[in-house]
Amino acid sequence: MADEVAGNPKSPFRTVIMVVLATGALAWSTFAPTATHHVRPGRIPIRYWHSWSAEWQIVVEDICKEYNQSQDKYEVIPLSIPNGAEAKFIMGAIGGDPPDVMTRWDSVIPTWSDSGLLKPIDEVMSPAEMRYFRANAYPIAQRLGTYRGKLFGVAIGINASALYIRPSLLEAGGYDPQKFPQTYEGLVQMGRKLDKFSKSRGLTQLGFMPNNLSGMSVLFGGGFYDWNKRKVQIETPQNLAALEAIVAEQRRLGYENVIRFNAGLNTASSSGGWPFIGGAYAVTIDGQWRVEQLRKFAPKLDYITAPIPPPKGGRPFGWVTNGNFMVIPKGAKHPDGAWDFIRFWSGLGNPARAAHLFVKGGWLPLTPATAAAPDYQKYIKDNPQFKTFVDLLPSANLQTAPPVAYQQFIVDRITSAEDRAVRGTVSPQEALKTLQLDLQRELMRRRQLGYGDSLP
Amino acid sequence: MINRHRIRNILTGYLFIAPWLLGFFAFTAGPFLQSVFFSFTRYNIISPPVWVGTANYQALFSQDPLFWKSLRITFSYALVAVPLGVVAGVTLALLLNAKVFGISVYRTIFFLPSIVPSVATSMVFIWILNPQIGLVNGILRWFGIVGPAWLADARYAFWSLVLMAMWGVGGSMVIYLAGLKDIPIYLYEAATIDGAGPWLKMIKITLPMLTPVIFFNLVMGVIGAFQYFTNAYIITAGGPDDSTMFYALYLFNRAWKYLDMGYASAMAWILFLVVVVLTTGLMKTQKKWVHYGG
Repeated sequence: MADEVAGNPKSPFRTVIMVVLATGALAWSTFAPTATHHVRPGRIPIRYWHSWSAEWQIVVEDICKEYNQSQDKYEVIPLSIPNGAEAKFIMGAIGGDPPDVMTRWDSVIPTWSDSGLLKPIDEVMSPAEMRYFRANAYPIAQRLGTYRGKLFGVAIGINASALYIRPSLLEAGGYDPQKFPQTYEGLVQMGRKLDKFSKSRGLTQLGFMPNNLSGMSVLFGGGFYDWNKRKVQIETPQNLAALEAIVAEQRRLGYENVIRFNAGLNTASSSGGWPFIGGAYAVTIDGQWRVEQLRKFAPKLDYITAPIPPPKGGRPFGWVTNGNFMVIPKGAKHPDGAWDFIRFWSGLGNPARAAHLFVKGGWLPLTPATAAAPDYQKYIKDNPQFKTFVDLLPSANLQTAPPVAYQQFIVDRITSAEDRAVRGTVSPQEALKTLQLDLQRELMRRRQLGYGDSLP
Repeated sequence: MINRHRIRNILTGYLFIAPWLLGFFAFTAGPFLQSVFFSFTRYNIISPPVWVGTANYQALFSQDPLFWKSLRITFSYALVAVPLGVVAGVTLALLLNAKVFGISVYRTIFFLPSIVPSVATSMVFIWILNPQIGLVNGILRWFGIVGPAWLADARYAFWSLVLMAMWGVGGSMVIYLAGLKDIPIYLYEAATIDGAGPWLKMIKITLPMLTPVIFFNLVMGVIGAFQYFTNAYIITAGGPDDSTMFYALYLFNRAWKYLDMGYASAMAWILFLVVVVLTTGLMKTQKKWVHYGG
């Protein structure tokens, strides 16, 4: 009876085998490599991760297909990871199973490079390719990809910001769009007169509202990084002037009113919902990707683009920007194949051929040679407002966030300082002072922990 | 023989739970203990950790105002949201314990929000609390009130998240409801014979008999409050003006955004100790107010 109650003690091995099989099945289902779309068994698979989705994913997959058709050694297998790609990438790298190549567009190169996550692309480029890159790539592309003298990222689409202007709204306000202000001061004056209000709804049209302290500080002749001394700088007269300019405009209308106005609009819309299309903004600062968006979703909209005019003593074309760039993780199984794909897309191998890849997504090119290629010139001819952005690229005043290992930290704190000043929690001077203090504390901490940073 | 059988049975049992045990030791206990070591190192996840002694802890206590701010915000949240959750949960359970036609439908309605994923809830609340086109300010406008920018104003963002926490009170409500059903009916019968009214019955019978459940929810609520992350991460990302920079969110940023896992591990252990101290404190108070009789 005891045996019956206890089960079947005569066959313990059967139980053990069942448990082992169940454990094995569970482990296999958890850790087994996921199926890929490797359809060319004779080729070396190049795993490529990116974060584009929807219609952009189709464009990217088209480019991968084109690359796969262009040669017979490698097969690029794209994987779209719209959310959580960074954590997945880091986990993949730690686990020894990173992709071969990845596209990012946020400020990660300094932090990731400093942490040893990325492989210097110099190591897979030939000396001739490196010479070509250094001699031909736009200055901003070189800054974007370089950390401590080594190249860690190759841009396949630089971002640039400029003014988007609605001529009809300017005319309605009594301005001639052909005589657009050439100084920041003039732009602000004009913007103030283009604001519109209604009794019931408050602010209904915003003339011009500056923001983005990182960009504005460069426009005002400062910036948070001294590229000559290679040092972070915070409390400079130019940075203060930039913050004061932002605060002055936001406070003029009342910060809460601006928040309320923007909250009712889908400012992040990447389709026809962009408020500029509906006339919410007479003049606004935005990136080159809006040109492609307007072509698709509002082809009849009358608009022009122009560089953001600097104040007196400021820097023409000055702004802080980023881009889409390719990185190769340390531990990539096929870095040579990854580089071959990067060279194909970026145009370092064949600038003219790459031009039609860039125009597929309305991306800014890596080199002037690609910009001058017939396909690219045709795109500019079809989308004349895009030229404003291409013309910005040779400027040395187009900068990146400080290229330091703690870049993410400093970018977050700059945003927070701007936020506090604009809300009126602190004065612009106090905001920069606190930012300086935050940075010094962080650097002291890093120094105590043995990081090799220098104090600003 | 029986002993051998018992041993075999025990072994068989362990073999059946072996997958869970393996997972627990590999993915929970192992990393948990390893993080003690990491908290004394400079560790960026990729390179090998470098021993730095107590430098992470020293920096946290002496050089990081955001650490203190995030701790203060999280304490405030626990102090406000947890008691509010208990009061709301008990009240709701008392109401839904009534014998009314269609009560199970009401219970389902109030329970449903607690099983909606946090991300979906967050997206809905971004709209509800939109100052221009949101539901809350729309209703306020009917009464001639101009509602604030709930999530974009540092004075309101924290309270908006507290308000949102009430959305998920249905989860604890179900437990309170089960607790109410567990109260012996004869206690109420005796009280009725003694002439007690509904209010007295609630004060003298219902609430005391419900205290074990309240205590359980209180402890779980405190632990949950100190781990508060998802809604703040999605809705406010710590802003505006760091007013919703909850401890777990700051810890996450340190670990995954700034790749400072040693520092984040030290933060995690401080959080763990805070939760242990608070839970132990609550455990010690239970003798005074939790009634297990019945």
